[in-house]
Amino acid sequence: MSSIPVKEAAITSYPKFIGRALWLATEGSFAFYAWMTALTAVFLVGANAWANQVAGGMISTNMTDHVSWGLYIANFTFCVGLAAGGVMMVIPAYLYDDEEMHKVVIIGEVVAIAAIVMCTLSVVVDLGRPDRFWHLIPGIGKFNWPMSMLTWDVIVLNGYLVINLHVVGYLLYMRYLGRKPNGWWYLPFVFLSIFWAISIHTVTAFLYCGLGGRPFWNSALLAPRFLASAFVSGPAFIILVMRVLRVTTGYAAPIGPARTLIQIIRVAMTINLLMLVSEIFTVLYTGSAHAAPLNYLFFGAHGKSGLVQWIWTAIGMNLLGTVLFFTPAAMERSHVRILACLLVIVGIWIEKGMGLIVPGFIPSTLHEIVEYSPSLLEWKVVAGIWGLGLIILTLSLKLIVNVFTGRMELHPSADKTSVS
Amino acid sequence: MPRIASLFFAVLLCLFASMALAALWQSGTRANMPASRTDKAQVSQASVHSNETHPVIIRKPSGPPRIELAGNDPQGLIASVACSTCHSVRQANLENKTAATLDEFHQGMTFNHGSITCYACHNPNESDALRLADGSSVTFENVMTLCSQCHSKQAESFAHGAHGGMNGHWDLSRGPQMKNNCIDCHDPHVPKYPKMIVGFKPKDRFNEPPNAEDNHKGTAAHDNH
Amino acid sequence: MTTTEPSNIAKANVNTNRSLPIVENFTRRAAVKGGFATLGAAAFVAAISPLRQAAKSTTAVEFMQQHYTELSPEQKADVIARLEAETKEKYGADVTIADDRPIPGTKFVYAINLSVCNGNGKCVEACHKENNHDRSTNQSYIRVIEMPKGTMDMEKGSTTYSGVVPKDDKFYLPVQCQQCDEPPCVDVCPVKATWKEEDGIVVVDYNWCIGCRYCEAACPYHARRFNWKQPEVPAEEINPDQSYLSNRVRPVGVVEKCTYCLHRTRRGKLPACLEACPTGARVFGNILDKDSSIRWILENKRVYILKEELGTKPAFFYYFD
Repeated sequence: MSSIPVKEAAITSYPKFIGRALWLATEGSFAFYAWMTALTAVFLVGANAWANQVAGGMISTNMTDHVSWGLYIANFTFCVGLAAGGVMMVIPAYLYDDEEMHKVVIIGEVVAIAAIVMCTLSVVVDLGRPDRFWHLIPGIGKFNWPMSMLTWDVIVLNGYLVINLHVVGYLLYMRYLGRKPNGWWYLPFVFLSIFWAISIHTVTAFLYCGLGGRPFWNSALLAPRFLASAFVSGPAFIILVMRVLRVTTGYAAPIGPARTLIQIIRVAMTINLLMLVSEIFTVLYTGSAHAAPLNYLFFGAHGKSGLVQWIWTAIGMNLLGTVLFFTPAAMERSHVRILACLLVIVGIWIEKGMGLIVPGFIPSTLHEIVEYSPSLLEWKVVAGIWGLGLIILTLSLKLIVNVFTGRMELHPSADKTSVS
Repeated sequence: MPRIASLFFAVLLCLFASMALAALWQSGTRANMPASRTDKAQVSQASVHSNETHPVIIRKPSGPPRIELAGNDPQGLIASVACSTCHSVRQANLENKTAATLDEFHQGMTFNHGSITCYACHNPNESDALRLADGSSVTFENVMTLCSQCHSKQAESFAHGAHGGMNGHWDLSRGPQMKNNCIDCHDPHVPKYPKMIVGFKPKDRFNEPPNAEDNHKGTAAHDNH
Repeated sequence: MTTTEPSNIAKANVNTNRSLPIVENFTRRAAVKGGFATLGAAAFVAAISPLRQAAKSTTAVEFMQQHYTELSPEQKADVIARLEAETKEKYGADVTIADDRPIPGTKFVYAINLSVCNGNGKCVEACHKENNHDRSTNQSYIRVIEMPKGTMDMEKGSTTYSGVVPKDDKFYLPVQCQQCDEPPCVDVCPVKATWKEEDGIVVVDYNWCIGCRYCEAACPYHARRFNWKQPEVPAEEINPDQSYLSNRVRPVGVVEKCTYCLHRTRRGKLPACLEACPTGARVFGNILDKDSSIRWILENKRVYILKEELGTKPAFFYYFD
């Protein structure tokens, strides 16, 4: 504890903390301004596209009564995985007392926050009547909990957001004040977030796998597959974020955390690929009608093969990324590591997003094949969502760097030996 | 300090738990609400269920067919010929099974009703009526009795609303039901139900049929925003 | 990046202590930041300006409308009056929207005789006209699958057939909402906008649905339709005999489905698809009435249901002669 003569009440000092954070968030190098301007421009394009969609109806997307969920829900599924991936930093740091991981676990948590915001936005833009959002609020609207898995998803996603906001906010605020954080205020939430992170992706998987009419999704393996791919894409994304942080701000994490994450990725990716093989074998060996969506996805059916290049590219990227992750070069700070991360992130986005959502609808429940590829408007909206997510992520990281390097302190002191 | 923090945490947990319980309880009571509301509204409907039963009206042919002549009679009216005009004075050929030998007023008639003879249904003793298998006469208005004698399965289905179309009401206490008779859909000489042409198809986006030329009426087939 | 750090640290540390030179920079910096922030806010407002367009087509009263099951009779009357006025305004047609409630002691069941159906599609067209569907897409709640004889596997079937029917080696399978007794669509709706009523019909409150399309994903029978755009129906073609839960003209962005023509059947009439069927393949009635035709079918014909293994318990049966 630092010796402070007067202790300001939190009710006034917290807003000042936020205010100062926002002030410093708008300062940086020219590259930073260019990055933020570009993201803002992308976000505005997406916001405008979405506003046009609301005004003119969802006919401007390429979704149909046959394929009624598309790019938006695909992106939602991927982003939930990203959010859940942060838990792979929390477990080593808090359950296994990995000291080095402790220093960077907060990065995983802010990635989770940005990802959850992207999830929520991805679902809101998919609503036909976003103005009726209030119908979901329990008490005011009609909340079909516990029957509807969507209501579970609303609860767990918002809960996860609140938990992470609290933990990150509390730790940064304490660091800013120069005080040692009180374990009771954040440790229970951190431990809760471990189980909660598993639950957000399990619930999202249950959304799909509970539908008997969609045999491509109606598999017990869907939830484990979701978790396995989340624990690849999440940590891979975090590794990329840490590299960007080091390159742009010089805030370098020790080499241990990234190595732990890569070891986790190695295991999770192997499990993910094993599960994929298991699914493919089970469906194709049986040869029942339930093989139709998988056949369409991998080989095309009835002359329609719109997704075939996508899925094989994704499989190739995933395999190549996995192989690269197993090389020794991946354990060092190298281009191999970055390439592997990019490969698996894109590969999993395709396989879990478009490669899971769209084939669930093809063939339709009456076995018609109506293909889907997103319209330009849908791409714009999703780009806008990613733009906003990256804005939030950038600003949060900037705050972290400012606070942890002491640029932002209530009572500036020369020594910065305290670590959270 | 730790005590306050854990107390706060415990309060939060209790809050969440109570919200969950409240939502569960609400979903339980709200499920009962639709029933109670509709019970009140249904009272007015229930009283309509009167004892009076509306009829099931089955169309009937108006009588024996008459052939219209090309010219007019001396009074200027359209002349027509009844079956009995010729057949009351002619010998009946009880073995005839085809329309090939028929001429005069039967020209152009086709016959495709199995291998039965004309006089299996037509009455040689009473040309303006039909006859059943036991020889008893049945009028053209009651032709359904004749069809039912061989096609009893379809007749049974018809009686239970499972064969032949209908209009009107399923609830005969509120209104009548109209049905066709057999020969409204089945020509007794060529009874096989005629083929039809599909007139109306949905125009789905991205769902063109394989032979698109028949259905290329709409614009929606190639809409790609 | 690290070279600029010390001076920034100095500035951040001393903004409470130093005076004039820093205050001057502070003000200019604040002005620049404020300017760009205003620019950003203005750009955002401009970007989402089409929302203002969308807001024009809705009212505060409509926005605040409660769930159908929680409206009092007076509120329902107000809602219906408002909807009738809106239909007149948007479509130029005078319509009557009723509030048809279930007849006590009824449970509706439908059956189709697959030996008789010849795939002519008149039922599809009748549904399209009766339910005020969008004209440009020829939308309908019924889809007819042309199936090869000898299999029940819909994978071998096709909905895009045309021309002369029936083709010799095919039979025809019309599919519409099965009004399941265990409907997956009702389970998954997050806001309870769809529910099963006492007479078995699964209905949707179009003014409560948020358009998430989870029900459309959950339905195994392709029974649900989403209004991707505002339905377009010419005034003279609008069926003016409407009901709140069934064939009133639906707004954009909500899900709809076959309601067994409850605006007709709850008044004792036959559904439009049955009346239009020229071959008489369709049978409809109240299963609780032991003398009804549908009861006779279920007791005397070998009926089967679609996708029985899913456990949805449909109220829609198929049989052959």
